[in-house]
Amino acid sequence: MILHIDMDAFFASIEQAINPRLKGKPLVVGSRAHKMRTVVCAASYAAKALGIHSGMPSKDAFSICPNLEFVAADQAKYIWTSGEIFELLKGFGFLLHYASVDEFQMDIQGYPEPLKLAAQIQEQIYANFNITASVGIAKNWLLAKLASKINKPNGVTLINEGNFKDILSATPLIKAYGMAGKTGQILLAQGLKSCWDLYLNLPGFFTENPGKFEEMPEKPRSVSHAYTLPRAQTNPRFISAWIRVLSEMVGLRLRQKNLTARTVQLWLNIPQKGDFLVQKTCSIATNDSYEIYLRILKLMAGMPQKRPKIRALGVSASHLSPQEYHPLLIEEKRREALVKAIDRINSRFGDNSIFPAQVILTHK
Amino acid sequence: MHQNSFNPQARWDRFEPDKAGFNPDALAERIEVLAYFKNARIYPKAFLWSNKEYKIDNITYNWQERLGQALVSYFSVVSSGQLYQISFNNSTFRWQIDKIIP
Repeated sequence: MILHIDMDAFFASIEQAINPRLKGKPLVVGSRAHKMRTVVCAASYAAKALGIHSGMPSKDAFSICPNLEFVAADQAKYIWTSGEIFELLKGFGFLLHYASVDEFQMDIQGYPEPLKLAAQIQEQIYANFNITASVGIAKNWLLAKLASKINKPNGVTLINEGNFKDILSATPLIKAYGMAGKTGQILLAQGLKSCWDLYLNLPGFFTENPGKFEEMPEKPRSVSHAYTLPRAQTNPRFISAWIRVLSEMVGLRLRQKNLTARTVQLWLNIPQKGDFLVQKTCSIATNDSYEIYLRILKLMAGMPQKRPKIRALGVSASHLSPQEYHPLLIEEKRREALVKAIDRINSRFGDNSIFPAQVILTHK
Repeated sequence: MHQNSFNPQARWDRFEPDKAGFNPDALAERIEVLAYFKNARIYPKAFLWSNKEYKIDNITYNWQERLGQALVSYFSVVSSGQLYQISFNNSTFRWQIDKIIP
C-alpha cells in the first residue's frame, strides 16, 4: 500500500502562511520578480478557481484577475520546508521517498489503519507549517498519486477494490500520471475520456505498474537544466551567456555526483517554430562545465538559423559514468585544479560566490 | 534518502542576480535583536532598527538557507500589524532586516 502526500498549492500556501494578509486571496508565485514578465509557478486555490494555473504567463493571469496578488518565488523557503516535511514524515517510520519538491511517497505495506495515519500526517503538517496537504492511498504509487488529486485541498482519498471503478470513471483521463501531454491527447482522440476507459483498454497501466520506488535507478540517466527567458532573445552573446550558466549548473551537479557525461544535448524553444533539439556524443567523457559549454556551442553553431529568436533553452548531459579518467597533460591537470578550487570556494562561501565573468551578461 | 530522480537542492535561481538587484524591496540593513535560543531554535522578541524599537508580536514563519558554510535563519515577524523579514547569519552573527513585506 502506498500513501502519497501532495502539498496543496505548495509555494502559494507557504507565502500565505508567511503573510496572513494573502490568505484566501487569488495569489500567484512568479519565477521572477518582474510580475508582468514571468511565468506562474504556483497559484493559490482562489486563483485556480479563476482559471489561473502553473505555467501560465503572468500577464495572462493578470488579464484574468487585475487584482491578483503577486509574490516572487524564493526557493530557499520552499526547499527548506520540503526538507523539514520530509524529516517530519520520516518520523512515522515508513519507507519514504521524494516524488517532487512538494510530493512524498510512503510505503505503508501492512499498516492496518491508513486513513487514520493520513489524518495524523495532515494534522502534523498543518501544526508545524500552517499549510495543508492532500493524501492519496492505493495499492500502487500511480493510483495513490491519482487519489491525492481527487479531494484537494486538504482531502484524503483511498482507492480500493470497492470504489476503484467509480473513481476511475469519474476521473478525466488527463488527470492520470503521464496523460497531461501528447499521449493523453492521442488517447482522447481515440475516444478514451476517463481513467476507467484507459483501464478497460490498458489495464496494466493501473494494476501492473510496479511503483516509482523500484524504478529509481542507481544513478541518474541524465542531468539537465533549462531556463525560460523573460522575453524572446536573438543576441548571441546573451544566449551564449545563458548556455554558460546552464552548463555550469549541469557540470556542478555531475561533479557533486562524481559522474562524467559523454553526450551533451541542447534544447531551444523558438517561438512560432517550436522546439529544436540536438545532441552529440564524444569519446571522452567530461564533467568540466567549460568543456560542456564548448561542446554545446559547437552544436549551436550547426544550427541552420544563425540568429534564432530564442524563448527558452536547456542543456542536458547523458551517457553518464563514474569519474575514472585522471588527466595526464599539464594543461588538463591545471584545468582540473582550477575547477576544484572554484567548487571549494563556492562550497565555502555559498553558491555563486565565484562564477565565470560571462555570466554577468545574464544579469542585464 | 533516495533522491536519484529528484534533487530538492537543485535551484533555478542559483545564478539570478544578487538579492539587491533581484528584489528591489531588499533592505539588508543591520539591526539589533533581542532573542532567546531554546531547543536549538531561535525566537526573536524585539529588534532595534534606525534607533526605533519594534516589539515582535508574532513569528508567522521561519526557514533556513545554507550559504556556503554559513547558515542563515529567516523569520517573517509581525510588529504593530506590519510584517517584516529579518535574518540571522550564524557565521557572522549578524542580524539584518531583509525587507518590509507589504
